[in-house]
Amino acid sequence: MSLTSYVLRRLFYVIPVILGVCFLIFIIFSVVSPDPTISMLGKHATKAQVLELREALGLNKPLYIQYFDIVKSAFTFDFGRSWSTKQEIFEMIKQGAIPSMTITFPAFFLSVLLSVSISLFVAFYRGTFLDKGVVFVCVALMSISSLVYILVGQWFFAFKLGLFEISGYEEGFPDVVPYVLLPIIIIIILSVGPDVRFYRTVMLDEIYQDYVRTARSKGLSERKIMFKHVLKNAMVSIITYVVLRIPFLILGSLLIESFFGIPGLGGMTLKAVNSSDFPVIKAMAVLSGIATILFNVITDVLYVVVDPRVKLN
Amino acid sequence: MAEKILEVKDLVVEFRTDRGTITAVNGVNFEVFKGQTLGIVGESGSGKSVTALSIMRLIPNPPGRVAGGEILYRGQNVLDIPLDEMRSIRGNKIAMIFQEPMTSLNPVFTVGNQIEEVLELHQKELSKQQRTEKAIEMLKLVGIPSPEKRVHEYPHQLSGGMRQRVMIAMSLACEPDILIADEPTTALDVTIQAQILELMKKLQTEMGMGIIMITHDLGVVAETCDDVAVMYCGQIVEQSDVKTLFGHPRHPYTKGLIESIPSFDSTTGGAKGRLPTIEGMVPSLFDLPSGCNFQNRCAHVTEKCRGPHGEPKLEPVSKGQMVRCFHPLS
Ligand SMILES: Nc1ncnc2c1ncn2[C@@H]1O[C@H](COP(=O)(O)OP(=O)(O)OP(=O)(O)O)[C@@H](O)[C@H]1O
Ligand SMILES: [Mg+2]
Repeated sequence: MSLTSYVLRRLFYVIPVILGVCFLIFIIFSVVSPDPTISMLGKHATKAQVLELREALGLNKPLYIQYFDIVKSAFTFDFGRSWSTKQEIFEMIKQGAIPSMTITFPAFFLSVLLSVSISLFVAFYRGTFLDKGVVFVCVALMSISSLVYILVGQWFFAFKLGLFEISGYEEGFPDVVPYVLLPIIIIIILSVGPDVRFYRTVMLDEIYQDYVRTARSKGLSERKIMFKHVLKNAMVSIITYVVLRIPFLILGSLLIESFFGIPGLGGMTLKAVNSSDFPVIKAMAVLSGIATILFNVITDVLYVVVDPRVKLN
Repeated sequence: MAEKILEVKDLVVEFRTDRGTITAVNGVNFEVFKGQTLGIVGESGSGKSVTALSIMRLIPNPPGRVAGGEILYRGQNVLDIPLDEMRSIRGNKIAMIFQEPMTSLNPVFTVGNQIEEVLELHQKELSKQQRTEKAIEMLKLVGIPSPEKRVHEYPHQLSGGMRQRVMIAMSLACEPDILIADEPTTALDVTIQAQILELMKKLQTEMGMGIIMITHDLGVVAETCDDVAVMYCGQIVEQSDVKTLFGHPRHPYTKGLIESIPSFDSTTGGAKGRLPTIEGMVPSLFDLPSGCNFQNRCAHVTEKCRGPHGEPKLEPVSKGQMVRCFHPLS
């Protein structure tokens, strides 16, 4: 079987999974969740008002229609309008995605690059003082709350030293930099600890394999062994770890966006949750479901490319 | 007399473990000659692999370290040379085949790539094209059918026997002076075993390398070796040419090993029809007895063996035959 037909087949199998995810979302929002109109109208609302609002929001539609609407939105990306802002949800998402991705993508690529390099380096110097030092720093970085980084960053580096903007956002290339730099750095610091520890374990698992001894017996240098033999074998685990995080990058970081006043998807979702804006939350749930499914497929395809032992069926 | 290419002198290798330091190889001496095969035999844990890895300087450190002795390759002590220089010897002048054919190749590179890699390293004058041709040629040499196709395959597409052939092809690609084969056939079934040994003998005649054949199977020794060293608890207990060893073993341990070869017609010991094996357990390296290491399993043990005069030395008993025993068999 060729790679293309493998990819097509995998994509075909995605359809029932999407239907399943939609069903889950349907259960959560249309069956088990409490009536959103009560929180929207307050506790003094009359029966008539509630009924009227339910009719207006389409909550009285038969259940199968409500499910069908969710499925339709998963394929057309037409999520309707927000209950609170009345805006087209797809437009809101498009607007929010750019600020979110301006922060998460650079942070993601830099942190992967940094973490993989550091872990190759410490795996090379395994067992030495340097290795132990790096592991210690990782654990230390991980044990500090993310709020500390945000507050110290904003107070000291942005407010006292004036290196960055404290919060806010501006569009366009050079203007945006001072706003996003600090969030990016903080995300990198937050991910480097766990990432290095994970990659280091993966590399060390490989270093003690027999094929590494064979490579040494051929006269290869340690560096060549690390970068060629060990890294390619470690790629399989690294890919899973890395690719499955991409959907979350698209959705933005709730905490960072709300602290830095970034008008991204994270902030948007948070607002929607606070105002029981079901269509927006549903749209985000559908989108993150689809993204996770698609990136799962991408991971599987990458396995085939990286690991010759994985069979195409 | 053939040219001497390798000489191991008083080799001592230690491992530091949680339970204390063990001496896995304790004062081993042997020589390897061009075009000849030295067998190293012994039960599991006797220090065969550790000896082999020391020659390649591949003892994992920590926990291991070569604590003493010399390894002279063409007169030069490889334990003293810088690592760079050692790398230009590994895979080029001294090559090794490992005990584990299933895991010794890298699963994510084609076998061609892995053979070409060693050529790229040591035969820089070859072009990419020539390396591929040489890889195919090597696969053909070790008897892999349709080598033009196999170079592009990955290790998991090959059987254990085929993988070991690939390892042999890889180790011989640079026509080394010395090939260390650490139980090259143990993990393979009997027919494949015979083929691989046959192949190695044939290639040795063609290329003239010296071979160190490590095995726990005296049958393999009888078929392939010129000289033999029998190891027990990190020491050589008997050493001679192969004919003398089988014809007239002087150490009770060697005799026991020979008698436990399945096809060997034994005349002593054991109930009728039962395979004689050596009774008792190999002592732990953490807790070696004083005196002779073999005392607890030996039928000829005397008070002298139990320690008052120290341990027995490896001493000549006849021309070219050395034995580490207070009471060598007559
Ligand atoms: N990495 C290591 N750490 C600690 N001890 C080791 C290590 N490698 C070998 N040893 C010890 O050295 C001794 C000799 O081991 P070696 O592998 O040389 O045995 P062997 O003769 O090759 O046995 P086998 O027939 O099972 O391959 C063993 O007691 C073993 O426990
Ligand atoms: Mg061994």
